[in-house]
Formats: sequence, C-alpha cells, structure tokens
Amino acid sequence: MPTGAYDGVYIVGAGQTPYVKRTEKPVQRLIWEASDLALASAGLGWRDVDGLGITCFTLAPDNVTTMAEHMGLECRWLSQGLYGGASGIIGMMEAARAIQAGDAEVAVIVAADAFDVSSHMSMSRNPGQHDYMGPWGYGAANGVFALHTRLYMERYGATREDFGRFCIALRENALLNPNALFDTPLTMEDYIDARPIAEPIHLFDCVHPCCGADAVVLASEAVAARLDVPKVRMLGGGAIHNYPAHDIYAMSAGWETYRDRMFAQAGRGPGDMDFVQLYDDYPVMSFIQLEGLGFAEMGGAPALIRENDCTVRGTLPLNTGGGQLSAGQAGASGGMIGVYEAVVQLRGEAGARQVKDCEHGVVTGYGAVSYGRGPSASACILARA
Amino acid sequence: MSDKPDPRINAINRAFWDACNRDEFLLQRCKAPACGRFVYFPRVCCPYCGGGDLEWAQPSGLGRIVSFSRIHRPQHPSFFDEAPYYFIAVELAEGPLMYSRLDRDPESEDGLIGHAVKVVFADHTPKQRLPFFRLV
Repeated sequence: MPTGAYDGVYIVGAGQTPYVKRTEKPVQRLIWEASDLALASAGLGWRDVDGLGITCFTLAPDNVTTMAEHMGLECRWLSQGLYGGASGIIGMMEAARAIQAGDAEVAVIVAADAFDVSSHMSMSRNPGQHDYMGPWGYGAANGVFALHTRLYMERYGATREDFGRFCIALRENALLNPNALFDTPLTMEDYIDARPIAEPIHLFDCVHPCCGADAVVLASEAVAARLDVPKVRMLGGGAIHNYPAHDIYAMSAGWETYRDRMFAQAGRGPGDMDFVQLYDDYPVMSFIQLEGLGFAEMGGAPALIRENDCTVRGTLPLNTGGGQLSAGQAGASGGMIGVYEAVVQLRGEAGARQVKDCEHGVVTGYGAVSYGRGPSASACILARA
Repeated sequence: MSDKPDPRINAINRAFWDACNRDEFLLQRCKAPACGRFVYFPRVCCPYCGGGDLEWAQPSGLGRIVSFSRIHRPQHPSFFDEAPYYFIAVELAEGPLMYSRLDRDPESEDGLIGHAVKVVFADHTPKQRLPFFRLV
C-alpha cells in the first residue's frame, strides 16, 4: 500500500519548448515559455503562482529571486537547483513538502538552458573538474564518463553494441516526438562507425547540447480539485549526494540506497512501472540507474536491454520522448526532460509516442559533475491520479 | 601552448602546485593517529575522518591505472595539437585517486587497467608543471 508520502500534492501541468540547436531567445524567455505552457495545460494563470523553483546553468547574473521579480511574481517559496541534472526531481520533492506544509499553493518547477558545444565544454568551473581534471585535458564530461564506460565494459563484459541498442531505441522514440532535436533514424552501423570523442565514447554516446526548457506545475489538493485537467501524483522519491564518498568507480551513484523506501512509499515495485525515464547523459549512467533502481542486477543492464524492446511500443519503454541522447540536452533541462515526459505520458497527452494505458512510471536525475562523477542522484515515482 | 587552462592556485592547494614546479610530489596526510591517510585533491579537512589537522608529505609516486580514455576531443582548443592522448585515473599506492595523463602512448591497451605507473613531471604552461604518469 502507498504510504501517502506526498499526499495533498498534485502535478497539474507540464510544458516544454521545442529543442533547437540555436536560438536568439535568452534563457529567461525559455524559462517563461515552458512555464507558460505548463500553466496553460493546468488551467492556471501566472497570478496563481506562489512558488518557483529554477535550474539553469546560464542564468547568472539572474537567479530564482530576480526571475520572480522579472516575471512579476509574489512568491512564498523559491528554490534554485544546485544539483545539476538531479535538481528537477529534488525541486519537485522540496515543492511538495512546501505545499504539504502550507508554505505554497502553486509551484512552477522549471529548467532551461541555451547551450552549444563550447558552453557545454567550458561550463565546468567547480574545483574537481576545473583544477584537478582540466589541466590534463580531460575532455569535459565526455572524458569523465569515458572512464566509467571503460570500466563498466571491463567489469561486466558490456560491448559497444549493448550501448548502441539503447541509443537506437531512444532515437526511435525521438522520431515520434515533435519537440526532439533529431529526426532521422540511427542504425547500429551509424552508431559503431561514429567518430571517437573520448574512447570508448563515440559521437552517439554523447548528448547534443541544445536550447530548450521544461516545466511542471505542482498544486495543493484544494487548487487541484477545481482544475478540470488530467492530474499526476508523486508517490515516492529520494535523493543522495556524494555516494559512495570514497569510491568514484563503484558503478553506483546511490539509487539503491533509497529505492526500496521509494518503491515502498509508492506501494509498487519496479515490475509495476509502465515506463522509465532515465537520466541519459551517457548510456553507461542509464545502465547504472536501471541496476540501482532494481530493474537488473549490477552488470545486468546489457542483458535487460537485449531482452526487451525499449521503444514506446515495447516491453520496457525507456526515455519515451527520445531522452537527452536523441531529443537533446538543453543544459539543466536534462534534469527535467524526463519529468516532463513522464507527466505528459501519464496525462495521456503524448500523441504518437503515447505508451498505451500507462499508470505508473519512474524518473531519475543525476548530475553536478565534479571530481570524476556526478555526485547527485535523484529519482521519483509518478502515477496517473 | 601557453593558453592551456591553469589550475586556480589558492590557500588550499598552493603547496601541491608549488611542489609540482619543483618536480616534487607532495600530498596532504591526515595527522589524526587513528586515520593517517593520504588525501588528494587538496582539502581543508580530512574527508575520511573529518579531522582538521593535515600535513604535507611525500607519497611514493607509485600507483595503478583504474581506468583510461584516449581523448580525441579535448575540452579546450589548446590541447587539440596533442590529441589523441591517454587520460587516466590512477589509484595511488597510498590510496587516493588522481586524474592525470600517460606521458607517452602505450604499445597496447591490453592490460592497461591495473597496470603499474609512476609519477613523472611535464611542462604544462610557463607557470605550471604537472604530474603525469609513466608505465612501469
């Protein structure tokens, strides 16, 4: 039975801008656009908003407070995500607690960025990357996750084809998503023959930096009750940081430390999930998430992917909008694209990529890459209300 | 190439980077008797026991490769001339994990994970020399 951990809170809307390679729009405008779409899908207006959570790597010199000012919002609750791609889910968990406590009624959680390859390569200013990896020409995130990929292959016998199957399934999903950056199929030959970036990582193991934004709206039960729109509930969630503290190559970022509690909160298990929206900055991290969440044993993700159809029509739908690998990584939006996609699926509004009769799904977040890894790992279980 | 990114020198890490410029390998070590572990990267406290008493000490300079990547697309154009090269994670004999590069390409990638390495120093920018590692 669900524990009611997030009772009294509903996700009542979701919005996403198209993902594009370049834009003249400032990130502030992208934040507004996704939020405006999310509020419209909820049947709410800007004057209803009294909570705002933003994650955006390129927002400075603005911040969440000046953005509330910019958009004319009178907010009782503000939060700015400092956990990279784990921030979206953590922002929702925090907003839900604020709503439960009566500190806010309607909270917009939004992430946005306008990224290109050079901003992707140069954004890493924290000491771990800038001072203790950068001087040696580490290759930014590609180099960081090349080392995890190499070790995963060495330890578990995974092959490039195993990662390729995952990427190809995501591309098939992206072809059904009008907001996705990529609109041509990816074949195994394309994947294998792609140019090396940071071996064993090749081009299609890397996300394409782009511009876009994702938002969701959380509301109290009192507000949700008067909205005639499909609603979603958060049944469980969790986060952990810097785990395990002294083993960067544990092939884990700690999802297993709270997955049992999270699934118990939801009164559901991995087998009850109709889809999984993984934080797919690199295929290896998605594999590690599937294992950490209990969909496979450690090292078992390659077999799980081989034995399942991971498209929206398949037995294990993953990243049903194409994920970051095929819809694009709009910087901090990488931590919200899975949330947006899950909410749209559970509202039954996913169009050609709709997972039939879906009722439950799990979403992950990961990031804040520092010394050799992303220290922050989050996840939540969402359900059709 | 002088436009490579230099580390930011500060009160926490100055002793480490200054030692590199003397071709000396100097790391922090926790002075707590029950701990005594070597620490890298430089900190204000021991990340293993939480103690605040660290001293600078010379480790052996030996280690083994935990993982590696042949980097084709560096994060900064100043490295493009040197690519591809081998970026490595080294577990130092004293315990800490250190990122660095092989000073020359290996003849084969077979057996590279777990291979023994020793520290050597190499030019980075006019301001800074860096510890690299050599297969031994």
